[in-house]
Amino acid sequence: MLIEVGHFALILALVISVILMVVPSIGLYQNKTSLSQLAKPLVWAQGFWITVAFFVLMSAFLTNDFSVKYVAENSNTQLPILYKASAVWGSHEGSLLLWVFVLSLWTVAVSIFSKRIPSNLINQTLIVLGAISFGFLLFLLFTSNPFERLMIPPVEGRELNPLLQDFGLAVHPPMLYMGYVGLAVPFAFVLSALIRGQLDSTWIRWTRPWTLISWSFLTIGITLGSWWAYYELGWGGWWFWDPVENASFMPWLVATALIHSLSVSEKRGAFKQWTVLLAIGGFSLSLLGTFLVRSGVLTSVHAFATDPTRGLFILIFLFVVIGGSLVLYTWRSSLLQQSNPFSMLSRETGLLINNILLVTAMLSVLLGTLYPLILDSLNLGKISVGAPYFNAVFVPIMIPGVIALAVFPYVRWKKDSVSRVFNLLKFDWICVVLLTLLSWIFITKNIFVIVAIGLFIWVVNHVMVLFLKRLKAKSKVTMAFLGMVIAHLGIAVFVLGATVTTQLGIEKDIKMTIGETQTIAGYDFVFNGVSPHAKDNYSGFIGDISVFKNNKKVTQLNPEKRLYQTGMPMTEASIDPSIARDLYVALGESLEGGAWSVRIYYKPLVRWIWLGGLMIALGALLAAVDRRYLVRVKS
Amino acid sequence: MIISWQLLIMLIFSCLFFAWFLYRPVKSGLSDDESNIAINKQRQEELAFDINQGLIDDEQFQVAESEIINTLANELKDKSSHSIEIKPMNWSIAIFILLSALSIAIYFQLSPKFLPSNQVLSEPMSMSESIEKLQTFLEENPDDFQALKMMGLAQIGIGNVDDSIETFERAYQINSSDIDLLLQYASAIAAKQEGQFDGKSKELIEEAFNLDPQSEQVLYFSGIVAAHEGDLKGAIELWEKALYLMPPDHPDRNIIEEALDTVMNLQVK
Repeated sequence: MLIEVGHFALILALVISVILMVVPSIGLYQNKTSLSQLAKPLVWAQGFWITVAFFVLMSAFLTNDFSVKYVAENSNTQLPILYKASAVWGSHEGSLLLWVFVLSLWTVAVSIFSKRIPSNLINQTLIVLGAISFGFLLFLLFTSNPFERLMIPPVEGRELNPLLQDFGLAVHPPMLYMGYVGLAVPFAFVLSALIRGQLDSTWIRWTRPWTLISWSFLTIGITLGSWWAYYELGWGGWWFWDPVENASFMPWLVATALIHSLSVSEKRGAFKQWTVLLAIGGFSLSLLGTFLVRSGVLTSVHAFATDPTRGLFILIFLFVVIGGSLVLYTWRSSLLQQSNPFSMLSRETGLLINNILLVTAMLSVLLGTLYPLILDSLNLGKISVGAPYFNAVFVPIMIPGVIALAVFPYVRWKKDSVSRVFNLLKFDWICVVLLTLLSWIFITKNIFVIVAIGLFIWVVNHVMVLFLKRLKAKSKVTMAFLGMVIAHLGIAVFVLGATVTTQLGIEKDIKMTIGETQTIAGYDFVFNGVSPHAKDNYSGFIGDISVFKNNKKVTQLNPEKRLYQTGMPMTEASIDPSIARDLYVALGESLEGGAWSVRIYYKPLVRWIWLGGLMIALGALLAAVDRRYLVRVKS
Repeated sequence: MIISWQLLIMLIFSCLFFAWFLYRPVKSGLSDDESNIAINKQRQEELAFDINQGLIDDEQFQVAESEIINTLANELKDKSSHSIEIKPMNWSIAIFILLSALSIAIYFQLSPKFLPSNQVLSEPMSMSESIEKLQTFLEENPDDFQALKMMGLAQIGIGNVDDSIETFERAYQINSSDIDLLLQYASAIAAKQEGQFDGKSKELIEEAFNLDPQSEQVLYFSGIVAAHEGDLKGAIELWEKALYLMPPDHPDRNIIEEALDTVMNLQVK
């Protein structure tokens, strides 16, 4: 009966979302406060029932209730308990339930932390969020019901995809969804402002902290995904430019533009039209990502036809959301005309450049992602757009962005002069050039690495000097400023880590016999052999490799080759991590005479990639709790 | 459909919760004007901070300040109007009716026709127990398509092929466009014909293929029919297409890959 409680809870949540769209709207339209104020309790009740549904499904996994089709297809009695819990979102139906659950968390959070926001704005925002959750609940219940039952339950369930039997599944999707779905909040604020025709300072002020928080989660989610792919796939890569990754990266780029555009709109009343479009664009790309991943169109365009209902539903929803928003935007565009002027050299211009570069980068990624799908669907052949395209297009677009992010915080709002900025920064620039030259002479001759070092020094120098100047002037260091400093330093750390590991990393794919030694980057890898190894949900082999440097033992690595019930072989890499480098070993195939193929990687500064990502996310979180957003306005 | 007391409690609890807030609404917070005044005041303070820091000069300060004042002047609406009172009882009843009617109607549409017993959850039901349960259900609901389909499957499970063919035929008379039924029915007939997919069995698979030529299952079975007829090339094409459409982690991939290997080996010989 518990399953039916979860099922009915989800249905109640759907009906409550209908009431949320209707009753408070009547209240707002007819000025009946008691009805418009019902938006919050409706949101709480909806959130409560979705939470009940989510945990009922989780309990079905934990208790091996194979009468639920979704559980039977994605779990079995031998699956470790952590993976049973995370298997809830391991496949289509559950991951959509997670999406709806996360959306309800965001909606409840908006309703609770809204004491400083005008009642009518917050109620309208909750109505828009209710409409979004209505669309997803409808999709969930009628095309992807996770509570569908089997009349004759099987004795044992099937297996969760072995790739997903990992701690990464427990943390990466929830974080990514927090970011993805979180972009619904700025979208809802913007749509509320458009519906009410009240495009004032308030919606801009309150859109920014929510955007920062969701952007922060999206950054953490993408960073965790990169880290997961790195250790789980056994190839030592940290970003593959595959369409699923791109689907999460595109909203990130637009949301990055949005938080910068919002800062101009908030502080100087400019870019309002652009800010509205970015908020709509960010959430629309989130939905597009869901469509690409969930319709099956990425596996193959033809796979779309195997489940036309799902793909068609998301496509219609996408059309309604984007089309409806743009119609509203056009209707209200006259209210967005007013914009305060600024000169060619001003901080506004810098932030405009930032926006143009980020949106151009997003478009280049979108083109690379959709182009093969369009060709395939038109039967014009199959092509694959991979890293060479993305690196060639994306990197040159972003380099000017990194250069600009260091300089423009020094430029004044509205109007500045080149001579003032030059006089202010000339010694810093000389210092950057000298340090880069020293790196050329003493560290490396690799031009890409030199550029990365130059950019790293450029950003760190400018950001730290700005920070120290603030401290020296004994003026208050706001959380927003501190957040900006940390996030921009995070960009520098990421750029250096990504370039150094890509350019100076070493990879060896070799055959090793017992007792054989391979030397990579000064480390001696001694292969001691392989032994059988088994656990509840898999069996396989575990390798034993000792690593020495200057005849001193550094670490012991134990890569695994696993065979799961489905017969799918999996490689579990063994990694010795450190801030300066990773030593990474993956076991390949068994060869003749007790030999094994082994992949050994030396990855300098690879941890800096994720450290940079986490710094960026931390910076955004700090900026989101700036004093401006916490001071209570007395009614 | 089973509406148990738990579901009724959920419904009543929700309605009471909303009724409570209709009688005692959440206090309304700020107005738009109050919020805009506060925000623009804060912006003025930030402007003062900027000039103190030397981030802007006097002229820029004056321009920016007048911009803030103009913005605020444009934003103030003075739309003060009294809230209209409502009758909470009427709205509570309306919400109760809407919530009950819609949720029960949707649940009626989506819920299973009967639930697996609690026994199933602790220890799996035997096939004969399942058949007994289905038979009892079918006595009361002789035209339930899903139950008939499940019954046919269960009968095959215990090797009762003749009965399963009869049951599948009953289901077929109710709904002849269910792909899953067509394939199961065809398999049952083939089982009776010692694995031969010809005659009625072949016709059923062809019907399924006409209904959905992109279904992996249909492609797999169509491949079997082709292979039985000696059309190895056709079988390979169909199975390759099925594999192409299947996600890489699909549990049935191995079966099709094995079938494909076998046919390819035959072709080589």
